[in-house]
Amino acid sequence: MTQTAEPGQAPSGTPAPTARPERRRRGDRVGPSLGPFILKLVLVGLFDALVLLLLMLLLGKREWTIFGVVLVAAAAINVIYLKKGALPAKYLTPGVVFLLIFQIFTLVYTCYVAFTNYSSGHVLSKPEAVQALLSQNQTRVPDSPAYPLTVVSKGSELGFLVVDPVTGQAQLGTESRPLTDVQAEITDGKAVSTDGWQSLTFAEILAKQNEIFSLVVPRSDDAADGTLRTQDGRTGYQFVSGLSYDADAGTLTDTAQGTVYTDGGKGAFVSSSGETLMPGWSVNVGTENFTRAFTEESIRGPLLKVTLWTFAFALLSVATTFGLGMFLAVVFNKKGMRGRKIYQAIMILPYAFPAFLAAMVWAGMYSKSYGFFNQVLLGGASIPWLEDPTLAKIAVLMLNLWLGFPYMFLVCLGALQSIPDELEEAAKTDGASAWQAFRLIKFPLLLVSVAPLLIASFAFNFNNFNVIYMLTGGGPRDMDAAIPVGETDILISLVYKVAFTGQERDYGLASAFSIIIFVIVAVISIVSFRRTKALEEVN
Amino acid sequence: MSATPSAASGGSLSGSPAGSRPGTLPGTARGTTTRGEHAASGTVGALEAPVESASARATRPGGRGPLGWLRRAGWRHVIGIVFSLYALLPIAYIVSVSLKPHGTLTGSNELFIEFSFESYARVLSDPAHPFGQWFLNSLLVGLCTAAGTVFLGALAAYSFSRMRFRGRRMGLLSLILLQMFPQLLAVVAVFLLVSKLGTIVPWLGVNSPAALIAVYLGGALGVNTYLMYGFFNTVPMSIDEAAKLDGAGHARIFFTIILRLVAPILAVVGLLSFIATMNDFVISSVILVDPQKQTLAVGLYNMVSNPNYADWSAFAAGAVMAALPVVIIFVALQRYIVGGLTAGSVK
Amino acid sequence: MVNKSQLAGFGALAAATALALSACGGSGSGAASSSSDSSAPASSSSSSAPASAAGSLTVWVDSERASALKDVAADYEKNTGIAVKIVSKATDKIKDDFTQQGSAAGGPDVVMGAHDWIGELVKNGIAAPIELGDKSADFSDVAIKASTYQGKTYMLPYAVENLALLRNTELAPEAPSSFDDMIATGTKAGLKQPFVVQQGKEGDPYHLYPFQTAFGAPVFGTDANGDYDASQLLLGQGTKFADWLSEQGKAGTISTEITGDIAADKFAKGQAAYWLTGPWNVKAAEAAGIKIAVDPIPSPTDQPAAPFAGVKGFFINEHSENKLAATDFLVNYIGTEPVQTKLFESSAVLPALTAAADKAASDPVIAGFQKAGENAVPMPAIPEMGVVFENWGVAEAAILDGKDAQKTWNDLVTKVEKAIAQ
Repeated sequence: MTQTAEPGQAPSGTPAPTARPERRRRGDRVGPSLGPFILKLVLVGLFDALVLLLLMLLLGKREWTIFGVVLVAAAAINVIYLKKGALPAKYLTPGVVFLLIFQIFTLVYTCYVAFTNYSSGHVLSKPEAVQALLSQNQTRVPDSPAYPLTVVSKGSELGFLVVDPVTGQAQLGTESRPLTDVQAEITDGKAVSTDGWQSLTFAEILAKQNEIFSLVVPRSDDAADGTLRTQDGRTGYQFVSGLSYDADAGTLTDTAQGTVYTDGGKGAFVSSSGETLMPGWSVNVGTENFTRAFTEESIRGPLLKVTLWTFAFALLSVATTFGLGMFLAVVFNKKGMRGRKIYQAIMILPYAFPAFLAAMVWAGMYSKSYGFFNQVLLGGASIPWLEDPTLAKIAVLMLNLWLGFPYMFLVCLGALQSIPDELEEAAKTDGASAWQAFRLIKFPLLLVSVAPLLIASFAFNFNNFNVIYMLTGGGPRDMDAAIPVGETDILISLVYKVAFTGQERDYGLASAFSIIIFVIVAVISIVSFRRTKALEEVN
Repeated sequence: MSATPSAASGGSLSGSPAGSRPGTLPGTARGTTTRGEHAASGTVGALEAPVESASARATRPGGRGPLGWLRRAGWRHVIGIVFSLYALLPIAYIVSVSLKPHGTLTGSNELFIEFSFESYARVLSDPAHPFGQWFLNSLLVGLCTAAGTVFLGALAAYSFSRMRFRGRRMGLLSLILLQMFPQLLAVVAVFLLVSKLGTIVPWLGVNSPAALIAVYLGGALGVNTYLMYGFFNTVPMSIDEAAKLDGAGHARIFFTIILRLVAPILAVVGLLSFIATMNDFVISSVILVDPQKQTLAVGLYNMVSNPNYADWSAFAAGAVMAALPVVIIFVALQRYIVGGLTAGSVK
Repeated sequence: MVNKSQLAGFGALAAATALALSACGGSGSGAASSSSDSSAPASSSSSSAPASAAGSLTVWVDSERASALKDVAADYEKNTGIAVKIVSKATDKIKDDFTQQGSAAGGPDVVMGAHDWIGELVKNGIAAPIELGDKSADFSDVAIKASTYQGKTYMLPYAVENLALLRNTELAPEAPSSFDDMIATGTKAGLKQPFVVQQGKEGDPYHLYPFQTAFGAPVFGTDANGDYDASQLLLGQGTKFADWLSEQGKAGTISTEITGDIAADKFAKGQAAYWLTGPWNVKAAEAAGIKIAVDPIPSPTDQPAAPFAGVKGFFINEHSENKLAATDFLVNYIGTEPVQTKLFESSAVLPALTAAADKAASDPVIAGFQKAGENAVPMPAIPEMGVVFENWGVAEAAILDGKDAQKTWNDLVTKVEKAIAQ
């Protein structure tokens, strides 16, 4: 009577070991007991204490938005766990909290980027771009000498104490006071101190390094003489600014040419003649990226071919990995089979190694003249595995099968545990062949639990950039195409190549493409779900 | 084998394809009953199964001699050996490279011509590669993530499987849809998020394993939840009902009854999550930048990220050692996965 | 019916998770603090001063240089009190990560990189100009030239890399006088593949560039300042080179089948006597027990075969809060002879600082690379180089694989011209 072990049956059945803990706590049945309730209170209390700590930290940092969000979320969590009912929420909240913070954020961020021009030359914010432009346009006066320099201070005012390299005269200047001659103590050609000013040690310089780095001391009343700046606190150089920024007007002016650059509204400063200053900054560009995604010329040509191959690749990847994984799971799910644990352990090994390492090994094995397949397995054949368009596709699928079947094997092995062997035995007794028994009994049951996984696997492979990128890089290349697209490129790798060409990175366009691809995959998946009835109510 | 009340009620199968196609094969109806019974009894049947199949094997037709053996049991070994070779060949390559000091990854088809552990010593002794520390970091992150994923996923799967609420189907579907979102920008987003978190709570910032685990747990609900959901569904509701009648609350039913019955899938999901964590370097390399904090995948990847200086032999040695925990954990979980011990734990 | 008390177990699952996490995090940060202590023992003595307030520098380096820099950084910290945190990053990720994270909180102060990143980093406004002053005269010309972009220095150079010919002295005792001489000598020694150079399915233009220059076809011309000028695409002069390449492909002396790994393997086994490669492979060749000499690259024409020079150096993040400390660290420390020598000792790459380079040249291997690099020109750092690289190697690979040389080369030129014009 092994069935007595079933806990639910314990009250009426023979007492079984498992039943014992149930019975011991049977008093709980009538009315609420205090123990668990206190435990719950303690846990909620601890949670609230942590939240409180977090809120204090946020208060200190003046992060009002996050403060508000945390407060509301924490309140909601308290309500969920302290209120009676709302049972599903109690179970779902922990996972959903993480999901919202980390998964949804990526999604929202991608959507946000899709509406900006975030790309090479537009990675900064506007103030940062202005800073970078001003910094890049500080030009050292040609053939000007280097000034040995001591940073000095009087009260909060900072100054440079230098020795004029030409005259040997010590000079002192501050932001508001151009360099003027002073009496100073000079050692080794460097003015080290002067009366009324305190010379800063290196540690003191570091403490004020940003102030000192941006300190600009005019050389004389004539602006054309340039200004003295230091980058390391020890040596000063004469610079002229190529650009000047008018914060009120928001314009940059070329000091030599007089050209005025204004914010062109597209995330960069533009002159009236259309010259653009780089770096620019990231701005909202509306649906421009989507328009570009749909009208992008370079993607048009290969699009149909690539889309077809993407579907073929994703479908075949799922079919082969699942087919082999399930087959092996069924074969090795035989109880009492000698060595099956060893076989099983071997089958998961491909999954235990980094995929890119395996891809590199496979790439080597596919080599036409030196590869293991041609040289050893095929006795010196010279099959162009990665050079021929069709063979390259097969090569990618074979690699993906090797990488993916352990996952399916594990999943099927797990899922098979819910299907008793007796079912099959029974069918066989009723005259079904082993194959029939499997196909009509086990397989459908297996499919119930893994069908959603197959759809997910399809979606995963639809976007399986890595395996393509690592083995063939999309190659063999289509030499006639305008973009470096190849025979094994799938949509996502095509998008990658369009958005990240050469040294250009167009994250905005990549995001727009991501969203479009997501919509495609999501629609296919939803339809598939409907079809497999994977979401049918259980009861 | 007397039919238990729970098995007789066995209504949980109506949604399954087997149940929805009654009569396609003689014995289907009986099959569903048996299935319910089996699941209800918490795979107790597994305890009997070896005995049963062993005796079945003895009496099964097939004959004696090598051909008979092949038909009876040997074909499984033939398949086992063939696919073991398939699985092992590229790995043999990697192992061979690791045993050949300064070996290159490709270009040599003569496997195991050298047999030296120099590369292993090199990986383990180079101060630039705190391999032991990486190993511990990986285990910490991997085990915490696996445990968290199983826990969060099981909670969600339980509610999806056992409770009926508005938005349930939608919820299930969106879990899977969310994971289909192309992750081209994930790295940028995760970095921004984590560095922002770090300015508020330092131990959740860049370089913190806790932050990395939290990011991984963001993906805890998803495909794996579905896998568990499917398995939870095979545990008949009658068990819950019986327990409820007995006075057990949903929490106790979940923790003390259901979780045991679904142990195989918990083990599978835990393992999948552990492996995924061990092998990830895309997310982890953004978060863990200090060599002392890095995981194996990040540290090893960094070793070969510059092809000019890539020490493939040392990398291969590292990868072989990094694969060991996965294998060990699989072997440790194997008895749960293939069901043998589930019955034992119930007893 | 749901019993209220039974809800208890779930009362604070979020809290439990948070606790579990904080436990993990706690232990993690515990390990961290102890490890950072042990990795920087020097800090304790000097950081008692307001050093921590003085700031710390976060320096991103590629992983193979991390340990060399760690020692150097520890010394700097001892001298100045500035803690230098060396972060080891995957080489292939540093540039993109720097661009994306440079302006964010927690970004790096100093980043190690290569000179051909400059154009992109400047366009993105992420690299700050570095004024070297008179010190620039202490560096080799090619290093300074490579670190300069639009008239300003953006990188503190520390090493110069270029290709040279590794020769197996047992198989080929004499340095070859020309490319054909090399092949003839090797063939006479009974080798099927006397010479190897790394290629691949998508080619490798960097490794073929010396031969291209021998045919008088650089990629870009230079303007009056000596800067590369994208409007002067000189790639089109390479049709003779294309023909030569096609011949080599047919003869099998250069093959897309020979990847870096296969080249290394052949040279290590003595199946190839000559290997056109960089200093990074010297260690592997020596470890295989091959006695090597380093020669200038033999030319297929009467013009010298000049390789690209790759200059490694350090950038300062424009958006760093520690630019002054970063400049001091680079200009007044990394740019000094003892430090460059020390970096050389741990990485065996020719130092950019002349004084250190001269010292290093006592090593015949380094001297060999230095000699081979006499005519080296910096790889163009202008952003347009990206488009070139995208098409260049594939075209060369196609020619090697037997495609029509003239047509393929002309197609390449048209394609690049078109892309640059856009």
